[in-house]
Amino acid sequence: MISSEKTNNSFKFSSQAFLHILDTFQMLVVECAFWVGFILTSDSIIFADMEEHKSVISTCEQDQHVVAAAQHVLKALAASKTVSDNLRKTLLDLETQLSSISMVKERQGRGIKQLERHLKCIEDKLMKWEANPSLTCDSSFNESSECLKVVGEIQTLIQSLESFSVNDKWKQKELLRRANKILEVAMQRLEEELVHILVQHKQYFEPEYMSLHSNRVNMVYGESFHSVEDEQIAEASRSSGAGQSNANIVDLVNPVVLQHLKSIANVMFGSKYHQEFCHVFVTSRRDALAEYFVILEMEKLSIEDVLKLEGKCLNREVKKWIRAMKIIVGVYLVSEKQLCKQILGDFGSFYQSCFSEISQSFMLHLLNFGGAVALGTHTPEKMFCLLDMYEVLEQLAGDVDVLFFEEVCSFVREEFHKLLRSFGETVKSTFLAFKNAIATNPSKTPFPQGGVHHVTKYVMNYISTLVEYGDTFNLLFLDESSTDPSDNKHETSAVSLCPMARQFRSITTTLESNLSNKSKLYKDEALQHIFMMNNIHYMVQKVKSSDLSHFFGDCWLRQHAAMYQQNARCYERVSWCSVLSILKDHSGPYCVSQRTLEKRCKEFCTAFGEVYRIQTGWRIPNPQLREDLQISVSLKVVLAYRSYTGRNSSNIAEKYIKYTEEDLQSYILDLFQGSPKSLNYAQHRK
Amino acid sequence: MPATTENNQGSFLGRISIRRNQVLSMDGSHEQEIEDLELFQKHVGDRFSELLSSTTSDDSSGDALLSIAWLRRLLDELLCCEAEFKAVVLMGRDPSQIAKPPLDKVLPEFLDRVVKSLDVCNAVTLGLDAVRNLQRLAEIVVTALDVAPLGDGQVRRAKKALSALVAAMLHEDNVGTKGTERTRSFGRRAGNNNKTTAPIRSLSSTMARNWSAAKQIHSMMSNLAAPRGAESSGLAQPIYIMSTVLVFIMWTLIAAIPCQERNGFGTHFPLPRQFTWAQPMIALQEKIAEEWKKKEKKGNVGLLEEMHRMEKLAQSLIEFADSFQFPAETDRLDEVKKQVAELGEICKKMDQGLEPLQQQIREVFHRVVRSRTEFLVVLDQAGKLSTPTV
Repeated sequence: MISSEKTNNSFKFSSQAFLHILDTFQMLVVECAFWVGFILTSDSIIFADMEEHKSVISTCEQDQHVVAAAQHVLKALAASKTVSDNLRKTLLDLETQLSSISMVKERQGRGIKQLERHLKCIEDKLMKWEANPSLTCDSSFNESSECLKVVGEIQTLIQSLESFSVNDKWKQKELLRRANKILEVAMQRLEEELVHILVQHKQYFEPEYMSLHSNRVNMVYGESFHSVEDEQIAEASRSSGAGQSNANIVDLVNPVVLQHLKSIANVMFGSKYHQEFCHVFVTSRRDALAEYFVILEMEKLSIEDVLKLEGKCLNREVKKWIRAMKIIVGVYLVSEKQLCKQILGDFGSFYQSCFSEISQSFMLHLLNFGGAVALGTHTPEKMFCLLDMYEVLEQLAGDVDVLFFEEVCSFVREEFHKLLRSFGETVKSTFLAFKNAIATNPSKTPFPQGGVHHVTKYVMNYISTLVEYGDTFNLLFLDESSTDPSDNKHETSAVSLCPMARQFRSITTTLESNLSNKSKLYKDEALQHIFMMNNIHYMVQKVKSSDLSHFFGDCWLRQHAAMYQQNARCYERVSWCSVLSILKDHSGPYCVSQRTLEKRCKEFCTAFGEVYRIQTGWRIPNPQLREDLQISVSLKVVLAYRSYTGRNSSNIAEKYIKYTEEDLQSYILDLFQGSPKSLNYAQHRK
Repeated sequence: MPATTENNQGSFLGRISIRRNQVLSMDGSHEQEIEDLELFQKHVGDRFSELLSSTTSDDSSGDALLSIAWLRRLLDELLCCEAEFKAVVLMGRDPSQIAKPPLDKVLPEFLDRVVKSLDVCNAVTLGLDAVRNLQRLAEIVVTALDVAPLGDGQVRRAKKALSALVAAMLHEDNVGTKGTERTRSFGRRAGNNNKTTAPIRSLSSTMARNWSAAKQIHSMMSNLAAPRGAESSGLAQPIYIMSTVLVFIMWTLIAAIPCQERNGFGTHFPLPRQFTWAQPMIALQEKIAEEWKKKEKKGNVGLLEEMHRMEKLAQSLIEFADSFQFPAETDRLDEVKKQVAELGEICKKMDQGLEPLQQQIREVFHRVVRSRTEFLVVLDQAGKLSTPTV
């Protein structure tokens, strides 16, 4: 600016000198007028580069005309033959000085004039837009970026106007005022365009984009002790979880318009319209997210509503929630943050606060549902539902930490972790409730037919489903370490020592003692053993045939196999000893009378018939186990019968030998089928 | 603020638990209990009369009724009361005492109210989003008008934000229920943007479809009756007090902050005039009800003091903007300048206060959830004691 000052001073000086000369040469005024006219008409059509004006002093039009006129006069004077050489030299010097100034002046003068013309031109254009609002918004966005161009022009215009240091303050202010007014009009246009683009070019990805499967969930949700069937569980194999996040960035806005959006941001931020930009951006993106919630069928439920949900309804909502969590947090919000960064990344922390404002209430909505489920009563049936929810939260924890890393978002992050923790607690307390439910499962009437009790099925299916949550479970129960007395010191495999294995063994111990209580309800001791045998065998089979075997270990399996075999032997002893004792050779040294022998034979048949009548109604559901026991019984009974009849064949009349060995064998095959029969009918057969 | 809360609780809880331990080992626990109850009542009364006096004191240091700062104090009192309440009713107590009548009926009712208050907390949190939206618009007004000289452009910019601000204040009250449509661009010519506007906006800031703040508070009030006769000296009394405090505070929040569906919001609910502890609450309720009635007619976005002042300023500024012609009169400009400064001050208060308020509401949420869980555990234990397992 120093140089400008200098020029300014010298100009003042020369203009004074000139005015003096002008007084003297009145006759040249006419010519002056001519030149003034010339300058006005020759106002250049070329639009001067604004930058050039910045370093130059402004002057009003009048000054320009005077300078131009002076120059001309000086030239004319110098050319006159009547002036002395000295004066001519002075005049020429003056002229040179003036001309160097006036070259700049001229352009500058044209500049401010042109600025005004340009301003007028833009004003007209905007007026036209005002009159016909559809011009921008409904046209394709190539045309409408005209608006962007206009704003750019106005911005440059304002900059130029501002940087002119002024002689004519009023004019400058007036122009600035007009420029600001059209800037506002254009900004409003631009804002509408922004909304238009954000709405028209938003994109959604299909929810199916992510393969989400959790068929394992189907089984125990809402089922009670009485209705679980094996088949359901067999199918409920765990499918691998959702894809890795971060790779899942999708375009939420058509990439074609990204650059344009960025330009709008640049322009609006450049004119300090960032508040408007952020407001529109946040509102539009929130709307888009709200629409996506509708697409995902995420209905808003109050906490009271959630607490009232039961069984299938709750199940359905939970599934929707899990899906929505995975999609919204894992894909949508990750992409949303990316979008914010792409558009607003150049403007410091704006993109973070915008992202936070867009996402916060939706995150709270999702978290509230989770919180409401965690609030409910925790029957064991809800375990898998809770575990699924816990797992999805844990799976997304990393994403959430990254997404809501910044201070502005810490609220959401903390809420998320609170929920995660509370789910952890809920899962643990639910598991305890499960254990408790097993221990206190009421036993009032004996379970019919001595088969496998629902509780046993339920518990075993329950824990074999739990296996699929092994990692999560182990993590949650890590601190409940080996206080469990049922811990087996001989087990060495790592899996069988993990928290889950300990909890499982403790569960089955609880189950066994509950079953033992239930077995006491049978008056028939033999049936007690059958019941225990059936149930323990079921447990062993279940463990053997599934991943549970790793958790229970060989030792447990051996122990329990021994246990049910022991029950089988006990059954045989209790049930058959008395029957077979009839056929025992009591004779010793004495000879038994034929009548006694025949009577014993009859007694045996009656006793056998009685056992047959009762035990055909009992049930051993497992065919292999049933067969094994039948064979074992058959061997003992037939052997005893054969040796009795063989030994005493001569002494017993044929009519007393009611059954052949084959008869007995086939009768024994009728046992434990669960359909009571009687031998009375069979007797008539003979 | 949380620090003070915890200190308060800490000392009090410590005292109670120590005393109860002593008491349990000696006899005369009943007397001790009565003393605890009286202390609790006294504290509740004291806390609310402090809240009341801060609104009546003339010096400006006090927090205006229903201002953000005042609401934060109100919530602080809730947290304190709640902590004391738990200390009196729950700590060191034998589960069987809690399962006895009349508690077996009163306590579940209380827990039910707790659950209902959770939904109010959520609704109010959403309401704070709406307030923040107003704040953003007001900030634009301030930015636009806080320049000299004031030209048509700036006034025009401010006017747009002002209209949106005033419109939002009129509509916010019944978001969702009437399907209020608002343009995304908060500007003019909404009609021309038909294609791009959809009634979705409200979705982001609503509760469940049929949820109504008015109904919620009504159902929280039902069955709320002071214990009588012998019950009044027992544990039913603190439960009643706590219920009343909870209902009162939720009622106040709903009145102050934009909330979904307040049609039929009752300005009066029965507070027990016979108790000293309830007196300051009654006085506060009357004041708030009065404010409510004043505003009820012309559509009421909420009584939040800052919002109320913002509305007045916005109205006045809109008048100014409507009649603006360059250059404006100096007197008028000075006045506008003052108003803009005040608006800026309100924005600043909101900027500083809304988030802590929101977090505090969340803290209340978590706190009552925790208490509820603790009560349920005790009830569960009591339930097991009474029905021996087979």
